[in-house]
Amino acid sequence: MEKACVDINELINVFSNTQGSIYQSDKLNCFYVDFGGKFARYNCLSLQKLKKIVENIDVEALLLNTNRADFELVTFNGCEHIYLLSALEIVALKDLLHGTFTMFKLNHMVNDCLNRLVY
Amino acid sequence: MKDLMRIKCLISQDIETLLNQQIKKEAHSSSLYLSMSSWCDQNGFDFSADYFAKQSEEERVHQLKLFKYVLDMGGNAVSPEVTGIKTEFAGFREVFEDALEAEIAITQSFKNIASRCHKEQDFVTMEFLNWFLKEQREEEYKARRALELFEVIGEEGTGRWEIDKHVNKITYSEQ
Repeated sequence: MEKACVDINELINVFSNTQGSIYQSDKLNCFYVDFGGKFARYNCLSLQKLKKIVENIDVEALLLNTNRADFELVTFNGCEHIYLLSALEIVALKDLLHGTFTMFKLNHMVNDCLNRLVY
Repeated sequence: MKDLMRIKCLISQDIETLLNQQIKKEAHSSSLYLSMSSWCDQNGFDFSADYFAKQSEEERVHQLKLFKYVLDMGGNAVSPEVTGIKTEFAGFREVFEDALEAEIAITQSFKNIASRCHKEQDFVTMEFLNWFLKEQREEEYKARRALELFEVIGEEGTGRWEIDKHVNKITYSEQ
């Protein structure tokens, strides 16, 4: 999906690092991952799956294995997107997703304190 | 910003992961009990074979109960791959020793999830787990009592035949 197809002003930047950003659309209840030259839309479940898959990639083993290239293909069942990532990009994507889910936790705590627990 | 993850799912990802691990453990227990049932049947311990077959069914029910909870709360329940089931046992007593060890591991695993629930203040899942914690009292009692029969009756002579006859009669009552 091209960035131009989405009104970026309607999106909330959840987390960014030097390599990319993750946005949330409150209107469409979905997320957009801007990473590796790709602007991809995810729902809650698929974003969680992406995080699990990226988290499980052993970067150290990837670098130490001399029988294969230092690249990893990242995709999963039901996902429209495929990433071909170098070790450095994997580290950056791990950081991006980790930061995003930390922000989700923080947002959950803020919502609890400001809206759900105050009556 | 909308709390989309919470809107979608009641349980946290950590709890979901632990519950999915538990689903796998229950599936493993169910298969292990079935394997024990097979071994007992082949070695002439028919009553014990029935006992382990029933235990296997119970573990399967536990697995499905956890599976349904994860789905009902909006999570992703994973159908587990079960491998490495022990099929050979050194003797009749070892089967029961392994059964008790499996139950102890399951209890410990539930305690671990309960501990995580307390940490996260997930009292909804904690309340759900209470049923399993209570169930483990019975499961461990039955496994321990079965092993106790080996001490009380003894394996000599017709001992194993007697033990086999009594295993299926073990019941647990809170009173």
